[in-house]
Amino acid sequence: MIRNIRIYFSFLGASLKKMLEYRVDCLVGMVSQIAFQLIELIFIWIIFQNTDNIGGWNFTQLLLLYGVMMLSVAVTDLLFDATYDIGNRFIRKGKFDTILLRPVNPLISVLGESQTSTALGYIILSFILIVFTLMKLNITITLFLIIKILYFGILGGIIIGGFQTIFSISGFWTYKSNEVVWSVFQLHKLAEYPIEIYNKFIRVLITMILPFACVSYFPTLNYLGSSKGKIAYIAPVVAIIVWFIAIKVWNFALNKYRSTGN
Amino acid sequence: MLKSMLKIGKMRWQEYNIYPSNFYLFTLNRIVEVVVYIFVWQAIYNQTGNAGGLSIEQMVTYYILVTALRPIILWGCNEEMAHSIRNGQIHKELLNPISYFQYYFGMEIGEFAFATVVGLATFVCCAIFWKVMIPASIVHFLLFIFIILLSVPITFSLQMIVGTVGFYSNSIWGMQILRKAIISIFSGIIAPITLFPQWFQTLSNFLPFKELIYTPINIYLGQISLNEIGIIIIKQMIWGILLYMLAKLFFNHAVKKVTINGG
Repeated sequence: MIRNIRIYFSFLGASLKKMLEYRVDCLVGMVSQIAFQLIELIFIWIIFQNTDNIGGWNFTQLLLLYGVMMLSVAVTDLLFDATYDIGNRFIRKGKFDTILLRPVNPLISVLGESQTSTALGYIILSFILIVFTLMKLNITITLFLIIKILYFGILGGIIIGGFQTIFSISGFWTYKSNEVVWSVFQLHKLAEYPIEIYNKFIRVLITMILPFACVSYFPTLNYLGSSKGKIAYIAPVVAIIVWFIAIKVWNFALNKYRSTGN
Repeated sequence: MLKSMLKIGKMRWQEYNIYPSNFYLFTLNRIVEVVVYIFVWQAIYNQTGNAGGLSIEQMVTYYILVTALRPIILWGCNEEMAHSIRNGQIHKELLNPISYFQYYFGMEIGEFAFATVVGLATFVCCAIFWKVMIPASIVHFLLFIFIILLSVPITFSLQMIVGTVGFYSNSIWGMQILRKAIISIFSGIIAPITLFPQWFQTLSNFLPFKELIYTPINIYLGQISLNEIGIIIIKQMIWGILLYMLAKLFFNHAVKKVTINGG
């Protein structure tokens, strides 16, 4: 286990360096990613031109919720980005066969190919957004709080990464499409808004079935000092369960793997 | 020439349909994208009852139409184009008996056809879950279709411009995102343009993007009077020609570079 994690991080470091090789691309990518984030922020801003609260949450609180989600998503991008496109990147082109020959767990090899250096910028940006909104909400920033933010941020990223790993196995059958992972990943947008605004079906979906609410909603309540925020402390359990399922499912898919042969 | 373009379009279409699961997943994805917007607006209407002069039914219909139109406006083959530039396949494509632009326009036809089918399926699926309004009248509906068709030269030219950047840069991934971000912000994908501040509305009147999403949907909803449409059509045509010329000039300039370097 420890060995696997160490190998994973050395792979990850190598792929990040590969990405940084093309500096201009990297910079353009970073700028445009921020432009893309702007879209979400513009939408939130427009909402509050029409109302002063949504589901009982005001503008600053919603920005905080957004920042918490963004931090976890950025961590996912940084650590588990490769799960997003397994079919196209590894299986269709036959690269997966090389990975199988390595004396390393194939899942570790695949995850280590993640190369979204832009995520680093995101992490810093969302962290600033969180601290800034918390200060605006008159919450004293203590060292303990900062550790909590980072802790839940990373844990949230690991949870989302787990979902992605589970659904990435679709690539073994579709070879090409990353649409399944994209669908699941898109569901995180639901948790960018307070769950009060949803109907029962979606509430159950994002708290029980795919607990994105444990990534953003409950930690945010926790930072705001609400009593419901204590639920956030089950996040590690959720992460363990998700990854337990992910590894089981991944191994199942691995046994079914048939090379495309090119 | 048209025949060969349609043939290329058909090839592209078949490429999409190799994996039938693609179609269902693309459609599912579009629905996932729209859910959050509809719930947020429903929450707002529950409190205020009104936003930007649209009723809740109109707003829900607006977002469902946005989701249905989005693939038509945003999808394209500039990724393939940049790829062909990078790996040198372009030298074969330049030798084709039809011109490079025609070749990619053929691809675009296939892409457009697939996007339309996904858009239609998304619309039908959403109509099951939410109350969707029907078009204001037959004339409005036909004009809605017509304005969308007029947007094809604009989106195609933008695709070619972004694809041509592939001559200068190793990946156009960043440019792709930039293109999508600009279109999303200015076309009304995020929210109806009337909800934006005044200066933004004035700015978007001059840009071609508003006519890709916001205007056709408002025609569908009957929010735009028929005598205004003439000006919109002229504006669209001028922008289409301008952008096409720009794309052509940019490409012709860039392609010289590649011939010198020998691919």
